[in-house]
Amino acid sequence: MTTVLSATRLSKAFGAIHVADRVSFSIDEGEILGVIGPNGAGKTSLFGLISGNIRPDSGYVEFGGKDITRWAPQDRARAGIARTYQIPKPFTHMTVAGNLKVAAIFGGGVAEDEVEEWIDGVLAQTHLAPARNTLAGRLPLLMRKRHELARALAMRPKLLLVDEVAAGLTDHEVGEFIDMVAGIRAGGVTVLWIEHVMKTMLTATDRLLALDSGRIIAQGKPEEVINSPDVRRVYLGA
Amino acid sequence: MNEDLYWTLVDIANGLLSGVMLGGYYAIIAIGLALTFGVMRMVNLAHGDMLVLAAYLAVLVLQFVPISPFITLALVIPVMFGVGYALQRFLLNAISVQSMERKGMSAGFGLMSPILVTFGLSIVIAHALLGGFASDARIIRNALSYSAVRLTEDLNLSTLRLIFFVIAVAILVALHLFLRRTHAGRAIRASADDAEIAPLMGIATPKINALASGIAIAIAGVAGVMVGMSRTFQPFDGPVFLLVAFGVVIVGGLGSIVGSLVGGVLLGITQVLAGTYFGPSAQLVAGYILILFVLAVRPQGLFARRR
Repeated sequence: MTTVLSATRLSKAFGAIHVADRVSFSIDEGEILGVIGPNGAGKTSLFGLISGNIRPDSGYVEFGGKDITRWAPQDRARAGIARTYQIPKPFTHMTVAGNLKVAAIFGGGVAEDEVEEWIDGVLAQTHLAPARNTLAGRLPLLMRKRHELARALAMRPKLLLVDEVAAGLTDHEVGEFIDMVAGIRAGGVTVLWIEHVMKTMLTATDRLLALDSGRIIAQGKPEEVINSPDVRRVYLGA
Repeated sequence: MNEDLYWTLVDIANGLLSGVMLGGYYAIIAIGLALTFGVMRMVNLAHGDMLVLAAYLAVLVLQFVPISPFITLALVIPVMFGVGYALQRFLLNAISVQSMERKGMSAGFGLMSPILVTFGLSIVIAHALLGGFASDARIIRNALSYSAVRLTEDLNLSTLRLIFFVIAVAILVALHLFLRRTHAGRAIRASADDAEIAPLMGIATPKINALASGIAIAIAGVAGVMVGMSRTFQPFDGPVFLLVAFGVVIVGGLGSIVGSLVGGVLLGITQVLAGTYFGPSAQLVAGYILILFVLAVRPQGLFARRR
Protein backbone atom coordinates (compact mmCIF):
# COMPACT_ATOMS: atom_id res chain seq x y z
CA MET A 1 0.00 0.00 0.00
CA THR A 2 1.29 3.45 -0.84
CA THR A 3 0.55 6.29 1.49
CA VAL A 4 -1.26 9.13 -0.29
CA LEU A 5 -1.37 11.65 2.50
CA SER A 6 0.19 11.85 5.91
CA ALA A 7 -0.03 14.43 8.65
CA THR A 8 2.66 14.59 11.28
CA ARG A 9 2.08 16.31 14.62
CA LEU A 10 -0.05 19.02 12.99
CA SER A 11 -1.01 21.78 15.41
CA LYS A 12 -3.01 24.94 14.97
CA ALA A 13 -4.51 27.23 17.57
CA PHE A 14 -6.74 30.27 17.12
CA GLY A 15 -6.06 32.11 20.35
CA ALA A 16 -6.80 29.65 23.16
CA ILE A 17 -8.74 27.25 20.94
CA HIS A 18 -6.80 24.30 19.59
CA VAL A 19 -8.36 23.18 16.34
CA ALA A 20 -5.52 20.72 15.79
CA ASP A 21 -3.35 19.42 18.56
CA ARG A 22 -0.47 17.21 17.41
CA VAL A 23 -2.60 15.40 14.85
CA SER A 24 -0.80 12.50 13.14
CA PHE A 25 -2.40 10.09 10.72
CA SER A 26 -1.99 8.74 7.22
CA ILE A 27 -4.26 7.50 4.49
CA ASP A 28 -3.46 4.79 1.95
CA GLU A 29 -4.20 4.84 -1.74
CA GLY A 30 -7.78 3.75 -2.52
CA GLU A 31 -8.89 3.96 1.09
CA ILE A 32 -12.03 5.65 2.46
CA LEU A 33 -11.09 7.14 5.81
CA GLY A 34 -13.95 8.58 7.85
CA VAL A 35 -13.51 11.46 10.30
CA ILE A 36 -15.96 11.75 13.20
CA GLY A 37 -16.17 13.96 16.25
CA PRO A 38 -18.54 16.35 18.00
CA ASN A 39 -19.09 19.92 16.83
CA GLY A 40 -15.95 21.98 17.26
CA ALA A 41 -13.72 18.91 17.37
CA GLY A 42 -11.60 20.31 14.53
CA LYS A 43 -12.82 18.15 11.65
CA THR A 44 -13.32 20.95 9.15
CA SER A 45 -10.16 22.69 10.35
CA LEU A 46 -8.30 19.48 9.57
CA PHE A 47 -9.58 19.78 6.00
CA GLY A 48 -8.44 23.40 5.95
CA LEU A 49 -4.95 22.30 6.99
CA ILE A 50 -4.87 19.70 4.21
CA SER A 51 -6.34 21.90 1.47
CA GLY A 52 -4.10 24.80 2.42
CA ASN A 53 -6.69 27.34 3.61
CA ILE A 54 -5.17 27.14 7.08
CA ARG A 55 -1.44 27.19 7.75
CA PRO A 56 -0.39 25.03 10.71
CA ASP A 57 1.54 26.49 13.64
CA SER A 58 3.72 23.39 13.62
CA GLY A 59 3.90 19.93 12.13
CA TYR A 60 3.80 19.02 8.46
CA VAL A 61 1.66 17.50 5.72
CA GLU A 62 2.98 15.17 3.06
CA PHE A 63 1.12 14.38 -0.12
CA GLY A 64 2.35 11.85 -2.68
CA GLY A 65 5.70 11.77 -0.87
CA LYS A 66 6.22 15.55 -1.01
CA ASP A 67 6.15 17.98 1.88
CA ILE A 68 3.30 20.34 0.98
CA THR A 69 3.06 22.18 4.32
CA ARG A 70 4.01 25.52 2.76
CA TRP A 71 2.17 25.07 -0.55
CA ALA A 72 -0.56 27.50 -1.56
CA PRO A 73 -4.09 26.09 -1.94
CA GLN A 74 -4.00 26.33 -5.75
CA ASP A 75 -0.80 24.29 -5.92
CA ARG A 76 -2.30 21.61 -3.70
CA ALA A 77 -5.42 21.60 -5.86
CA ARG A 78 -3.33 21.11 -8.98
CA ALA A 79 -1.36 18.33 -7.29
CA GLY A 80 -4.63 16.43 -6.81
CA ILE A 81 -6.33 17.47 -3.57
CA ALA A 82 -10.01 18.38 -4.00
CA ARG A 83 -12.34 19.53 -1.28
CA THR A 84 -16.08 19.91 -0.81
CA TYR A 85 -17.80 22.08 1.77
CA GLN A 86 -20.63 21.16 4.13
CA ILE A 87 -22.49 24.24 2.96
CA PRO A 88 -22.05 24.03 -0.81
CA LYS A 89 -20.14 26.94 -2.27
CA PRO A 90 -20.71 26.96 -6.02
CA PHE A 91 -19.70 29.90 -8.20
CA THR A 92 -23.29 31.11 -8.17
CA HIS A 93 -23.12 33.29 -11.29
CA MET A 94 -21.85 30.52 -13.50
CA THR A 95 -23.68 27.54 -14.93
CA VAL A 96 -23.05 24.05 -13.59
CA ALA A 97 -20.98 23.32 -16.70
CA GLY A 98 -19.06 26.58 -16.21
CA ASN A 99 -18.21 25.66 -12.63
CA LEU A 100 -17.00 22.23 -13.67
CA LYS A 101 -15.00 23.68 -16.55
CA VAL A 102 -13.07 25.97 -14.22
CA ALA A 103 -12.36 23.03 -11.91
CA ALA A 104 -11.37 20.71 -14.77
CA ILE A 105 -9.10 23.18 -16.56
CA PHE A 106 -7.40 24.88 -13.64
CA GLY A 107 -7.50 22.11 -11.05
CA GLY A 108 -7.42 19.01 -13.23
CA GLY A 109 -5.30 20.22 -16.12
CA VAL A 110 -7.87 18.76 -18.53
CA ALA A 111 -7.05 19.73 -22.13
CA GLU A 112 -9.27 22.22 -23.93
CA ASP A 113 -10.59 19.79 -26.54
CA GLU A 114 -11.36 17.08 -24.00
CA VAL A 115 -13.05 19.23 -21.40
CA GLU A 116 -16.65 18.95 -22.66
CA GLU A 117 -16.48 15.19 -22.80
CA TRP A 118 -14.82 15.01 -19.39
CA ILE A 119 -17.51 17.20 -17.84
CA ASP A 120 -20.28 15.10 -19.38
CA GLY A 121 -18.77 12.04 -17.70
CA VAL A 122 -18.65 13.76 -14.32
CA LEU A 123 -22.22 15.06 -14.71
CA ALA A 124 -23.48 11.57 -15.50
CA GLN A 125 -21.61 10.10 -12.54
CA THR A 126 -23.16 12.64 -10.14
CA HIS A 127 -26.71 12.59 -11.63
CA LEU A 128 -26.41 16.23 -12.67
CA ALA A 129 -26.67 15.92 -16.44
CA PRO A 130 -30.12 17.59 -16.68
CA ALA A 131 -28.80 20.65 -14.79
CA ARG A 132 -25.82 21.16 -17.12
CA ASN A 133 -26.81 24.69 -18.15
CA THR A 134 -28.53 25.81 -14.96
CA LEU A 135 -26.98 28.69 -13.02
CA ALA A 136 -25.32 27.02 -10.03
CA GLY A 137 -26.84 29.59 -7.66
CA ARG A 138 -30.32 28.42 -8.63
CA LEU A 139 -29.87 24.75 -7.76
CA PRO A 140 -31.98 23.25 -4.95
CA LEU A 141 -30.18 21.72 -1.95
CA LEU A 142 -29.78 18.13 -3.15
CA MET A 143 -28.53 19.32 -6.52
CA ARG A 144 -26.16 21.75 -4.82
CA LYS A 145 -24.69 18.89 -2.83
CA ARG A 146 -24.26 16.83 -6.00
CA HIS A 147 -22.73 19.87 -7.65
CA GLU A 148 -20.27 20.32 -4.80
CA LEU A 149 -19.10 16.74 -5.28
CA ALA A 150 -19.17 17.01 -9.09
CA ARG A 151 -16.98 20.12 -9.12
CA ALA A 152 -14.42 18.42 -6.88
CA LEU A 153 -14.47 15.35 -9.15
CA ALA A 154 -14.03 17.49 -12.24
CA MET A 155 -10.58 18.35 -10.85
CA ARG A 156 -9.48 14.73 -11.42
CA PRO A 157 -8.36 14.48 -7.79
CA LYS A 158 -6.13 11.82 -6.28
CA LEU A 159 -7.48 12.67 -2.84
CA LEU A 160 -11.05 13.81 -2.27
CA LEU A 161 -12.01 15.55 0.98
CA VAL A 162 -15.77 15.25 1.57
CA ASP A 163 -17.24 17.45 4.31
CA GLU A 164 -20.67 16.36 5.63
CA VAL A 165 -22.39 15.68 2.39
CA ALA A 166 -25.18 13.73 4.15
CA ALA A 167 -26.24 16.53 6.49
CA GLY A 168 -29.84 17.54 5.85
CA LEU A 169 -30.57 14.74 3.39
CA THR A 170 -33.08 11.86 3.60
CA ASP A 171 -31.86 8.28 4.08
CA HIS A 172 -32.53 7.55 0.45
CA GLU A 173 -30.50 10.55 -0.68
CA VAL A 174 -27.68 9.66 1.69
CA GLY A 175 -27.68 6.19 0.11
CA GLU A 176 -27.16 7.83 -3.27
CA PHE A 177 -24.08 9.64 -1.98
CA ILE A 178 -22.67 6.51 -0.33
CA ASP A 179 -22.93 4.74 -3.69
CA MET A 180 -21.42 7.72 -5.48
CA VAL A 181 -18.42 7.87 -3.15
CA ALA A 182 -17.98 4.10 -3.47
CA GLY A 183 -17.94 4.58 -7.26
CA ILE A 184 -15.40 7.38 -6.97
CA ARG A 185 -13.13 5.19 -4.86
CA ALA A 186 -13.53 2.35 -7.36
CA GLY A 187 -12.18 4.81 -9.93
CA GLY A 188 -8.94 4.99 -7.94
CA VAL A 189 -9.56 8.09 -5.82
CA THR A 190 -8.66 8.10 -2.14
CA VAL A 191 -11.36 9.60 0.09
CA LEU A 192 -11.25 11.41 3.42
CA TRP A 193 -14.81 11.85 4.60
CA ILE A 194 -16.25 13.87 7.49
CA GLU A 195 -19.74 12.91 8.56
CA HIS A 196 -21.95 13.34 11.57
CA VAL A 197 -24.32 10.51 10.72
CA MET A 198 -22.80 7.43 12.40
CA LYS A 199 -24.66 4.95 10.24
CA THR A 200 -23.11 6.40 7.10
CA MET A 201 -19.65 6.25 8.60
CA LEU A 202 -20.06 2.64 9.75
CA THR A 203 -21.18 1.31 6.39
CA ALA A 204 -19.24 3.48 3.99
CA THR A 205 -15.71 3.73 5.37
CA ASP A 206 -12.74 1.39 5.69
CA ARG A 207 -11.31 3.09 8.71
CA LEU A 208 -12.33 5.83 11.14
CA LEU A 209 -10.56 8.68 12.85
CA ALA A 210 -12.24 10.22 15.92
CA LEU A 211 -11.37 13.80 16.89
CA ASP A 212 -12.15 15.77 20.02
CA SER A 213 -10.82 19.26 20.84
CA GLY A 214 -8.32 19.01 18.00
CA ARG A 215 -6.85 15.70 19.22
CA ILE A 216 -7.20 12.24 17.74
CA ILE A 217 -8.86 10.13 20.41
CA ALA A 218 -9.22 6.91 18.44
CA GLN A 219 -8.46 5.47 15.02
CA GLY A 220 -8.92 2.06 13.41
CA LYS A 221 -11.73 -0.18 12.24
CA PRO A 222 -15.10 1.60 12.34
CA GLU A 223 -16.74 -0.67 14.97
CA GLU A 224 -13.69 -0.55 17.22
CA VAL A 225 -13.51 3.24 17.06
CA ILE A 226 -17.20 3.70 17.76
CA ASN A 227 -17.04 1.32 20.71
CA SER A 228 -13.88 2.75 22.18
CA PRO A 229 -14.37 4.26 25.65
CA ASP A 230 -13.09 7.73 24.70
CA VAL A 231 -15.44 8.03 21.72
CA ARG A 232 -18.40 6.82 23.82
CA ARG A 233 -17.54 9.36 26.48
CA VAL A 234 -17.36 12.23 23.99
CA TYR A 235 -20.53 11.27 22.15
CA LEU A 236 -22.70 9.95 24.94
CA GLY A 237 -21.21 11.74 27.91
CA ALA A 238 -20.81 8.30 29.55
CA MET B 1 -44.32 72.16 -38.55
CA ASN B 2 -44.38 74.80 -35.87
CA GLU B 3 -40.94 76.36 -35.82
CA ASP B 4 -40.58 76.45 -32.02
CA LEU B 5 -41.50 72.81 -31.69
CA TYR B 6 -39.04 71.90 -34.40
CA TRP B 7 -36.16 73.61 -32.65
CA THR B 8 -37.13 72.08 -29.32
CA LEU B 9 -37.04 68.64 -30.91
CA VAL B 10 -33.69 69.38 -32.56
CA ASP B 11 -32.28 70.47 -29.20
CA ILE B 12 -33.49 67.30 -27.53
CA ALA B 13 -32.26 65.10 -30.36
CA ASN B 14 -28.85 66.75 -30.30
CA GLY B 15 -28.76 66.38 -26.51
CA LEU B 16 -29.70 62.70 -26.68
CA LEU B 17 -27.14 62.03 -29.40
CA SER B 18 -24.23 63.69 -27.70
CA GLY B 19 -25.39 62.32 -24.34
CA VAL B 20 -25.23 58.79 -25.71
CA MET B 21 -21.80 59.46 -27.19
CA LEU B 22 -20.58 60.93 -23.91
CA GLY B 23 -22.01 57.86 -22.16
CA GLY B 24 -19.76 55.47 -24.05
CA TYR B 25 -16.76 57.47 -22.93
CA TYR B 26 -18.04 57.59 -19.35
CA ALA B 27 -18.55 53.83 -19.44
CA ILE B 28 -14.90 53.10 -20.17
CA ILE B 29 -13.80 55.60 -17.52
CA ALA B 30 -15.83 53.51 -15.07
CA ILE B 31 -15.44 49.91 -16.22
CA GLY B 32 -11.96 49.51 -14.73
CA LEU B 33 -13.18 50.68 -11.33
CA ALA B 34 -16.11 48.25 -11.52
CA LEU B 35 -13.83 45.39 -12.57
CA THR B 36 -11.37 46.06 -9.74
CA PHE B 37 -14.14 46.18 -7.20
CA GLY B 38 -15.96 43.18 -8.61
CA VAL B 39 -12.94 40.88 -8.62
CA MET B 40 -10.73 42.13 -5.78
CA ARG B 41 -13.37 43.85 -3.62
CA MET B 42 -11.03 46.82 -3.60
CA VAL B 43 -11.83 50.42 -4.37
CA ASN B 44 -8.95 51.91 -6.30
CA LEU B 45 -8.95 55.59 -5.34
CA ALA B 46 -6.08 56.16 -7.75
CA HIS B 47 -8.25 55.09 -10.70
CA GLY B 48 -8.72 58.67 -11.94
CA ASP B 49 -5.01 59.37 -11.60
CA MET B 50 -4.30 56.36 -13.79
CA LEU B 51 -6.35 58.06 -16.53
CA VAL B 52 -4.37 61.25 -16.15
CA LEU B 53 -1.11 59.31 -16.09
CA ALA B 54 -2.05 57.67 -19.40
CA ALA B 55 -2.94 61.06 -20.91
CA TYR B 56 0.52 62.40 -19.94
CA LEU B 57 2.11 59.27 -21.34
CA ALA B 58 0.47 60.03 -24.68
CA VAL B 59 1.67 63.64 -24.45
CA LEU B 60 5.20 62.42 -23.79
CA VAL B 61 5.14 60.07 -26.79
CA LEU B 62 3.81 62.83 -29.05
CA GLN B 63 6.65 65.12 -27.99
CA PHE B 64 9.10 62.73 -29.58
CA VAL B 65 7.18 61.28 -32.49
CA PRO B 66 4.57 63.24 -34.39
CA ILE B 67 1.96 60.54 -34.93
CA SER B 68 -1.80 60.38 -34.64
CA PRO B 69 -2.83 60.34 -30.96
CA PHE B 70 -4.72 57.11 -31.64
CA ILE B 71 -1.44 55.36 -32.45
CA THR B 72 -0.06 56.24 -29.00
CA LEU B 73 -2.53 53.66 -27.70
CA ALA B 74 -0.18 50.97 -29.05
CA LEU B 75 2.22 52.04 -26.30
CA VAL B 76 -0.22 53.34 -23.70
CA ILE B 77 -2.26 50.12 -23.50
CA PRO B 78 0.64 47.71 -22.78
CA VAL B 79 2.36 50.16 -20.41
CA MET B 80 -0.81 50.77 -18.41
CA PHE B 81 -1.53 47.05 -18.38
CA GLY B 82 1.92 46.52 -16.88
CA VAL B 83 1.32 49.25 -14.32
CA GLY B 84 -1.99 47.69 -13.27
CA TYR B 85 -0.53 44.19 -13.19
CA ALA B 86 2.48 45.18 -11.11
CA LEU B 87 0.41 47.37 -8.79
CA GLN B 88 -1.84 44.45 -7.91
CA ARG B 89 0.82 41.75 -7.89
CA PHE B 90 3.42 43.50 -5.80
CA LEU B 91 1.42 45.95 -3.70
CA LEU B 92 -2.33 45.45 -3.45
CA ASN B 93 -2.29 41.62 -3.18
CA ALA B 94 -0.22 42.02 -0.03
CA ILE B 95 -2.87 44.16 1.65
CA SER B 96 -6.05 42.37 0.53
CA VAL B 97 -8.62 41.13 3.03
CA GLN B 98 -7.33 37.57 2.63
CA SER B 99 -3.70 38.40 3.19
CA MET B 100 -4.52 40.64 6.15
CA GLU B 101 -6.45 37.76 7.71
CA ARG B 102 -3.53 35.46 7.03
CA LYS B 103 -1.32 37.88 8.94
CA GLY B 104 -3.74 37.81 11.85
CA MET B 105 -5.27 41.26 11.25
CA SER B 106 -9.00 41.82 11.27
CA ALA B 107 -10.99 41.71 8.02
CA GLY B 108 -11.94 45.35 8.61
CA PHE B 109 -8.28 46.27 8.44
CA GLY B 110 -8.07 44.41 5.14
CA LEU B 111 -10.99 46.42 3.75
CA MET B 112 -9.51 49.71 4.90
CA SER B 113 -5.90 49.34 3.90
CA PRO B 114 -6.38 49.31 0.08
CA ILE B 115 -8.38 52.53 0.44
CA LEU B 116 -5.52 54.19 2.32
CA VAL B 117 -2.84 52.79 0.04
CA THR B 118 -4.59 53.78 -3.21
CA PHE B 119 -5.38 57.21 -1.77
CA GLY B 120 -1.68 57.60 -1.06
CA LEU B 121 -0.88 56.35 -4.53
CA SER B 122 -3.25 58.93 -5.99
CA ILE B 123 -1.30 61.69 -4.25
CA VAL B 124 2.04 60.22 -5.33
CA ILE B 125 1.00 59.99 -8.99
CA ALA B 126 -0.41 63.54 -9.05
CA HIS B 127 2.75 64.99 -7.50
CA ALA B 128 5.05 62.96 -9.73
CA LEU B 129 3.17 64.34 -12.75
CA LEU B 130 3.43 67.83 -11.31
CA GLY B 131 7.17 67.36 -10.93
CA GLY B 132 7.55 65.96 -14.44
CA PHE B 133 5.20 68.16 -16.42
CA ALA B 134 4.45 71.23 -14.25
CA SER B 135 0.92 72.38 -13.63
CA ASP B 136 0.16 73.79 -17.09
CA ALA B 137 -3.06 72.56 -18.63
CA ARG B 138 -2.35 70.21 -21.52
CA ILE B 139 -4.38 68.82 -24.35
CA ILE B 140 -3.55 66.09 -26.80
CA ARG B 141 -3.78 67.96 -30.08
CA ASN B 142 -5.53 66.15 -32.86
CA ALA B 143 -7.02 66.85 -36.27
CA LEU B 144 -10.52 65.83 -35.30
CA SER B 145 -11.14 68.29 -32.46
CA TYR B 146 -13.41 70.54 -34.49
CA SER B 147 -14.76 68.10 -37.00
CA ALA B 148 -18.35 66.95 -36.93
CA VAL B 149 -20.50 64.40 -38.67
CA ARG B 150 -23.56 66.02 -40.13
CA LEU B 151 -26.64 63.83 -39.88
CA THR B 152 -29.28 66.29 -41.11
CA GLU B 153 -29.13 70.00 -41.70
CA ASP B 154 -29.48 70.71 -37.98
CA LEU B 155 -28.33 67.48 -36.34
CA ASN B 156 -24.67 66.81 -35.98
CA LEU B 157 -22.24 64.83 -33.96
CA SER B 158 -18.66 65.46 -32.94
CA THR B 159 -16.50 63.07 -34.96
CA LEU B 160 -14.22 62.56 -31.98
CA ARG B 161 -17.11 61.62 -29.70
CA LEU B 162 -18.46 59.22 -32.31
CA ILE B 163 -15.06 57.52 -32.60
CA PHE B 164 -14.78 57.34 -28.81
CA PHE B 165 -18.22 55.80 -28.57
CA VAL B 166 -17.36 53.15 -31.14
CA ILE B 167 -14.07 52.37 -29.37
CA ALA B 168 -15.83 52.23 -26.00
CA VAL B 169 -18.50 49.82 -27.21
CA ALA B 170 -15.83 47.70 -28.92
CA ILE B 171 -13.84 47.53 -25.66
CA LEU B 172 -16.92 46.60 -23.64
CA VAL B 173 -17.89 43.86 -26.12
CA ALA B 174 -14.33 42.54 -26.17
CA LEU B 175 -14.22 42.52 -22.36
CA HIS B 176 -17.54 40.69 -22.22
CA LEU B 177 -16.33 38.03 -24.67
CA PHE B 178 -13.02 37.71 -22.83
CA LEU B 179 -14.76 37.14 -19.49
CA ARG B 180 -17.27 34.67 -20.96
CA ARG B 181 -15.30 32.70 -23.48
CA THR B 182 -11.69 32.39 -22.34
CA HIS B 183 -10.17 30.32 -19.56
CA ALA B 184 -8.54 33.33 -17.97
CA GLY B 185 -11.88 35.15 -18.14
CA ARG B 186 -13.60 32.27 -16.42
CA ALA B 187 -10.95 32.27 -13.73
CA ILE B 188 -11.52 36.00 -13.18
CA ARG B 189 -15.27 35.44 -12.87
CA ALA B 190 -14.74 32.52 -10.50
CA SER B 191 -12.45 34.65 -8.29
CA ALA B 192 -15.00 37.46 -8.33
CA ASP B 193 -17.69 34.99 -7.30
CA ASP B 194 -15.83 33.39 -4.40
CA ALA B 195 -12.23 34.36 -3.66
CA GLU B 196 -11.89 31.62 -1.05
CA ILE B 197 -13.03 28.75 -3.28
CA ALA B 198 -11.25 29.77 -6.49
CA PRO B 199 -7.77 28.69 -5.28
CA LEU B 200 -9.20 25.32 -4.26
CA MET B 201 -10.09 24.84 -7.93
CA GLY B 202 -6.45 25.38 -8.83
CA ILE B 203 -6.79 29.05 -9.74
CA ALA B 204 -3.71 31.09 -8.85
CA THR B 205 -5.65 34.06 -7.47
CA PRO B 206 -2.64 36.40 -7.04
CA LYS B 207 -1.94 36.16 -10.77
CA ILE B 208 -5.60 36.28 -11.76
CA ASN B 209 -6.12 39.39 -9.62
CA ALA B 210 -3.09 40.98 -11.24
CA LEU B 211 -4.45 40.14 -14.69
CA ALA B 212 -7.83 41.69 -13.85
CA SER B 213 -6.11 44.79 -12.49
CA GLY B 214 -3.91 45.01 -15.59
CA ILE B 215 -6.97 44.92 -17.84
CA ALA B 216 -8.78 47.49 -15.67
CA ILE B 217 -5.88 49.94 -15.81
CA ALA B 218 -5.24 49.32 -19.52
CA ILE B 219 -8.85 50.32 -20.24
CA ALA B 220 -8.42 53.32 -17.95
CA GLY B 221 -5.41 54.15 -20.12
CA VAL B 222 -7.54 54.20 -23.26
CA ALA B 223 -10.04 56.39 -21.43
CA GLY B 224 -7.18 58.66 -20.36
CA VAL B 225 -6.02 59.25 -23.94
CA MET B 226 -9.64 60.01 -24.91
CA VAL B 227 -9.92 62.46 -22.04
CA GLY B 228 -6.72 64.12 -23.13
CA MET B 229 -7.96 64.46 -26.70
CA SER B 230 -11.28 66.00 -25.76
CA ARG B 231 -10.42 68.42 -22.96
CA THR B 232 -7.50 69.98 -21.13
CA PHE B 233 -6.03 68.19 -18.15
CA GLN B 234 -3.68 68.89 -15.27
CA PRO B 235 -1.78 66.66 -12.84
CA PHE B 236 -4.44 66.97 -10.12
CA ASP B 237 -7.45 66.11 -12.31
CA GLY B 238 -7.59 62.46 -11.29
CA PRO B 239 -10.34 62.80 -8.66
CA VAL B 240 -12.66 64.41 -11.23
CA PHE B 241 -12.60 61.21 -13.28
CA LEU B 242 -12.83 59.07 -10.18
CA LEU B 243 -16.09 60.87 -9.40
CA VAL B 244 -17.40 60.26 -12.92
CA ALA B 245 -16.52 56.59 -12.53
CA PHE B 246 -18.29 56.39 -9.15
CA GLY B 247 -21.34 58.09 -10.67
CA VAL B 248 -21.53 55.61 -13.55
CA VAL B 249 -21.07 52.65 -11.23
CA ILE B 250 -23.75 53.91 -8.84
CA VAL B 251 -26.26 54.44 -11.64
CA GLY B 252 -25.49 51.29 -13.62
CA GLY B 253 -24.70 48.95 -10.77
CA LEU B 254 -21.46 47.14 -10.00
CA GLY B 255 -20.35 44.00 -11.75
CA SER B 256 -22.28 44.49 -14.96
CA ILE B 257 -20.74 45.56 -18.26
CA VAL B 258 -24.14 46.49 -19.71
CA GLY B 259 -24.76 48.40 -16.47
CA SER B 260 -21.72 50.60 -16.96
CA LEU B 261 -22.71 51.40 -20.54
CA VAL B 262 -26.31 52.24 -19.57
CA GLY B 263 -25.11 54.10 -16.46
CA GLY B 264 -22.68 56.07 -18.58
CA VAL B 265 -25.31 56.87 -21.20
CA LEU B 266 -27.91 57.97 -18.62
CA LEU B 267 -25.37 60.16 -16.89
CA GLY B 268 -24.24 61.55 -20.24
CA ILE B 269 -27.76 62.37 -21.46
CA THR B 270 -28.70 63.95 -18.12
CA GLN B 271 -25.65 66.18 -18.15
CA VAL B 272 -25.95 67.24 -21.77
CA LEU B 273 -29.68 68.03 -21.58
CA ALA B 274 -29.23 69.92 -18.32
CA GLY B 275 -26.39 71.82 -19.94
CA THR B 276 -28.55 72.65 -22.96
CA TYR B 277 -31.45 74.01 -20.93
CA PHE B 278 -29.93 75.37 -17.75
CA GLY B 279 -26.41 76.29 -18.79
CA PRO B 280 -23.03 74.61 -18.20
CA SER B 281 -23.14 74.97 -14.42
CA ALA B 282 -26.21 72.72 -14.31
CA GLN B 283 -24.34 69.79 -15.86
CA LEU B 284 -22.63 68.54 -12.72
CA VAL B 285 -25.62 69.31 -10.51
CA ALA B 286 -27.93 67.32 -12.78
CA GLY B 287 -25.48 64.42 -12.76
CA TYR B 288 -25.43 64.36 -8.98
CA ILE B 289 -29.22 64.63 -8.80
CA LEU B 290 -29.44 61.55 -11.02
CA ILE B 291 -26.98 59.74 -8.73
CA LEU B 292 -28.95 60.73 -5.63
CA PHE B 293 -32.18 59.66 -7.29
CA VAL B 294 -30.78 56.21 -8.15
CA LEU B 295 -29.34 55.85 -4.65
CA ALA B 296 -32.73 56.63 -3.17
CA VAL B 297 -34.82 54.46 -5.48
CA ARG B 298 -32.52 51.59 -6.40
CA PRO B 299 -29.36 51.74 -4.29
CA GLN B 300 -27.85 48.61 -5.86
CA GLY B 301 -27.86 50.32 -9.29
CA LEU B 302 -30.01 49.60 -12.32
CA PHE B 303 -28.17 46.51 -13.53
CA ALA B 304 -26.73 45.11 -10.32
CA ARG B 305 -26.21 41.37 -10.17
CA ARG B 306 -28.02 39.48 -7.49
CA ARG B 307 -25.67 38.46 -4.71
